[in-house]
Amino acid sequence: MAEFSLDALGEACPIPLLKVQKKWPDLKGGDVLIIHIDHSCALKNIPEWARKEGHNVEVEEVEDGVWDIYIEKTA
Amino acid sequence: MTTRAMQEIENLRTVVIKDAWPYWLGAIMLGLANICIFIVTAAPWGVTTTFVFWGAWLYQLVGGHPETWSFFTLQPPMLQALKGGILNHGGSIMNIGIIVGAFLSAAAASQFRFKRIKAGRQVVAALAGGLLMGYGARLAFGCNVGAYFSGIASMSLHGWVFGIFIFVGAYLGSKLLVKYFM
Repeated sequence: MAEFSLDALGEACPIPLLKVQKKWPDLKGGDVLIIHIDHSCALKNIPEWARKEGHNVEVEEVEDGVWDIYIEKTA
Repeated sequence: MTTRAMQEIENLRTVVIKDAWPYWLGAIMLGLANICIFIVTAAPWGVTTTFVFWGAWLYQLVGGHPETWSFFTLQPPMLQALKGGILNHGGSIMNIGIIVGAFLSAAAASQFRFKRIKAGRQVVAALAGGLLMGYGARLAFGCNVGAYFSGIASMSLHGWVFGIFIFVGAYLGSKLLVKYFM
């Protein structure tokens, strides 16, 4: 179970979500992708997309206006 | 207060202050705001006409004479508003309210921060996009608020035309975005 991370700090929507979608085929079932974001709308559209695709999502607030989103790819 | 009550208050605070409101609630709030603005100012909500005034006042500060422009000379109420200054201009007060309100909501949610600029092309894209949007909004008699939102709410055909071309623009814009920013 590998862990990947994406730096989307300083990127405005919809770039963070597009980056996640571009990276997604590289992940296998059980792998985790961590995305660092500082644009609040990515906090809405990335988890929304991932949950709709059926993956587990967790959000961690790192500091004011900065978040890490953890997405686990279901097998 | 019981632990349960404290917990409920904390949950409410998170939902109202911290989390993003759902789109439908935002839409209702915007609709109500537009009704209030229409009642108070006798005109539907618009944002970008105010930028003409801000630009004109800035130009006056550096010695320019925008009051001779046909935009003002051919529209006496506009000329009057230009002479009235920023504090007597309802549109300016509303726009300042939007900026202050956006700041307060981000600050209340503990989400306010200065973001670093990641790449030079972000600056180029922001400036080019801003100029295009400003120019387009003037030609279209408003932006997505004045022309689209207020236009459709006023049963004006131009709001629907604006809406169709928003989709065309968004389609082309997203192609450019993927090409240059991914």
